[in-house]
Amino acid sequence: MDIDTETVLKIARLSRIKINEGESADIQKDLNRIVEFVKKLGEIDIDGIDEFNFGKTNIEDMRKDSVTIYDNTDDILKNTKNKNQDFFTVPKIVE
Amino acid sequence: MNEVKLTQLGIKDSRDLLNKKEISATELTNAYIQNIEESSKLNAFIEKTFDKALIQASKADKIIGTDSQKSLCGIPLGIKDLFCCKNVKTQAASDILENFIPPYESTVTQKLWNEQAIMLGKLNMDEFAMGSSNETSTYGPVINPWKSTDSHDSLTPGGSSGGSSAAVAANLCTGATGTDTGGSIRQPASFTGTVGLKPTYGRCSRWGIIAFASSFDQAGPITKNVTDSAIMLKAMSGFDPLDSTSAKIDVPDYEQELGKDIKGLRVGLAKEYSLRNGDSEAIRKLEEAIKILKNMGAEIVEVSLPHTEFALPTYYVLAPAEASSNLARYDGVRYGYRAKLDTNDSILELYEKTRSEGFGTEVKRRILIGTYVLSSGYYDAYYKRAQKVRSLIKNDFDEVFKKVDIILTPTTPTSAFPLGSKGTQDPVEMYMNDIFTVPANLAGLPALSLPVGLDELGLPLGVQLIGNNWQEPLLLNTAFNLENTLAFENNPKNWWA
Repeated sequence: MDIDTETVLKIARLSRIKINEGESADIQKDLNRIVEFVKKLGEIDIDGIDEFNFGKTNIEDMRKDSVTIYDNTDDILKNTKNKNQDFFTVPKIVE
Repeated sequence: MNEVKLTQLGIKDSRDLLNKKEISATELTNAYIQNIEESSKLNAFIEKTFDKALIQASKADKIIGTDSQKSLCGIPLGIKDLFCCKNVKTQAASDILENFIPPYESTVTQKLWNEQAIMLGKLNMDEFAMGSSNETSTYGPVINPWKSTDSHDSLTPGGSSGGSSAAVAANLCTGATGTDTGGSIRQPASFTGTVGLKPTYGRCSRWGIIAFASSFDQAGPITKNVTDSAIMLKAMSGFDPLDSTSAKIDVPDYEQELGKDIKGLRVGLAKEYSLRNGDSEAIRKLEEAIKILKNMGAEIVEVSLPHTEFALPTYYVLAPAEASSNLARYDGVRYGYRAKLDTNDSILELYEKTRSEGFGTEVKRRILIGTYVLSSGYYDAYYKRAQKVRSLIKNDFDEVFKKVDIILTPTTPTSAFPLGSKGTQDPVEMYMNDIFTVPANLAGLPALSLPVGLDELGLPLGVQLIGNNWQEPLLLNTAFNLENTLAFENNPKNWWA
């Protein structure tokens, strides 16, 4: 088994997803099943193979790196109840 | 209209009647609105924008016949919930985007409105497009309008674009947008007797489409027939300065390309796709298509794509890895769902509780596995290795396209399966559904699913055509030729209205 309970909790923490004790075993079982499935990739010789890319980006095709002002603050704040004036509110961060 | 109902027509036929002024856009839109109102059992439309639709229709009626008329004037469409539409609730069928109202419009949908199409509403889908059966949606699954001849079970319309495929098959819209990361347009098309096209990566802008796996995601049409697919693709395609991966190349007039002779076309049959299921219905449907192509003078060439068996494992490393990064933005701070916090909870609890409660099981599973394969100590063994295998898979296709013009495969191993019958004990069982569709996403290639006919259960089944980069005209023309001979009729018995 590749993913033990401790690893489940570690990746849950990295993913910022709270996992209850009750669901931990099921998640562990599913993740191990997926890992077992993708382990097939270990069978291939990848020596000298480049990582995939879609080809070179043509620098002339990129848009100018210029500042644009988006000031529809109201539109953006419409999507939250957690606001104070023009700001989002979150739990206290600094003591 | 006698016999054939207005809503059975699709895009081209509706356009022709609108142009002849035999019908009005308002009349057409109202006919679809009525069908949608009667279709709640299918659960395809999750947000209806009928007021907007009728305003657009009224405008269209004034424009039709004038110089200002554009290619989709007065054509009512459904939009997958993955596309952000300005001032229209867009949730990617997830709780975490609860009541999210985008302040902007996706490029692809904006292009459709620029062509004067009409928006009927948003279509159900798997949460964040992660699923092959529509069962991961927070709105509950879409029900396939098709039913097996030997049971009354509710069947999946496929996923993730299951709302789109069901809506087109059930005459709830002339055509619909879909997105395809590992088969999410083509598999639903195969399950519902519709035409689904995943264009070349970069053909359509991804801007404003809620991201799942950015190096795979591509928008495309789900339609009643090949001509409609060509018309819709043209409207959706093109370079967009807001998506640096969209291609700066001309958009052909796909409809003009249809009807050309395919004599001498070299069609590849990959042994790795054909033999896996032996004597299955999917193979029998493939053989029907082969026979027709041969009769039309196409040359059938056996080819090999030796790394095919590694496609799904590669996909299930890379797509979750990209998803884990893309979905990091859903933190409960600025929009969507925010968990109820206890008095002493910190910002960390805000993130963790929100994401735990807001994401569904499959989405969490993919974020976790994606985080795992990108984490220190595992990156080389999984992510980097998968990126290299992805190159090998692409090389396989490059070699094959030196010998053939197009590759023909089944779209799906089986026809539509009953809801609740797959993946409940083992997530990988559901992943196997995409076995024939995932390779085209890994290689960025265009691929189309075309309905061939009904299987022994009376359910539609498609074949897949895969082309080389930017070969959509060839894909569409080959499919058009096949379609004319197959004469498949998509008319599931109406049990829902």
